[in-house]
Amino acid sequence: MPEQLWITQFLNSFLAGPVTALLRSLHIEPHHPQAPITNSVAMQILVVAFLVLVFAIVRSRLSVDSPRALQHIFEGAQGFVEGQSHEIIGAHSEGFTPFLMALGLFILISNLIGLIPGFESPTAVSTVPLGCAICAFIYYNYHGLKHSGLAYFKHFVGPLPALAPLMIPIEIISHLARVMSLTIRLYANMFAGDMVTLAFFSLIPLLLPVGFLGLHIFVSFLQAYIFLLLTTVYLSGAVAEEH
Amino acid sequence: MAQTPEEDSPKRGFLLQIAKYSQLAFVLPAATAIGWLVGAGLDRWLHTTWLYLVGLILGIVAGFVDLIRTVMADSK
Repeated sequence: MPEQLWITQFLNSFLAGPVTALLRSLHIEPHHPQAPITNSVAMQILVVAFLVLVFAIVRSRLSVDSPRALQHIFEGAQGFVEGQSHEIIGAHSEGFTPFLMALGLFILISNLIGLIPGFESPTAVSTVPLGCAICAFIYYNYHGLKHSGLAYFKHFVGPLPALAPLMIPIEIISHLARVMSLTIRLYANMFAGDMVTLAFFSLIPLLLPVGFLGLHIFVSFLQAYIFLLLTTVYLSGAVAEEH
Repeated sequence: MAQTPEEDSPKRGFLLQIAKYSQLAFVLPAATAIGWLVGAGLDRWLHTTWLYLVGLILGIVAGFVDLIRTVMADSK
């Protein structure tokens, strides 16, 4: 049985049976049928629940005359993402803001939650950044197709039709490499950050780890921002007018 | 927000450059690995022994194409 966080134990105590039954119905045999929910899945559920709760609180207290601190923070974050996507994608970028905002906040909170004792960063497990990268990949290709129709596939062909047999596999590999590079960047940074902080905590438990915690916070913000930025860049490439 | 989009723009442009160029360090090995994986997968599926090499070469080329494309886009 793997080591479980308290929240994972809590979820497994209620949901182990139904989750194992669901996985078996999909012909997936869990490694531990008594505890099919892993720490990373439990932490993702917690992050999503936290975000839904925060947004529900902000929504219930929205005020034009006297906005509260939380409203200011989220309006600022929304304005930032909107301004950035407008700058990179151009006109009609507003429709992408909800996805970009949700993705950015999910990654940011997932990165930061590992700093709280008793929790782990779900993004320090490779499958979570991979899931986020696959979501970004599906999203920008879907919007590319929606925007340009079948003409979207023209940019896979390259500038000369004669080069198409060579360019199509190169473009497909290039697009798949985006998923892999987004995954590795986020996963490696968060995993390394966690390891460095833990190692210094066990070596020198006073003062020095504070510096590494600060570094971890900086890396968490930076990596969430870079993931968001690159998704926006890929989205702008997919919905660009020349396709 | 404290800054207008116009005031914020150079800072964002700088961060965009950082994100794009740091991505290159990941894209080159990622494209190579993806090319090899696709080739090896096709080898297993089609019972051949040489497609992994084609995939590997195409992956390396794809990485370089992406690298050159990014550099060219910024030097325009």
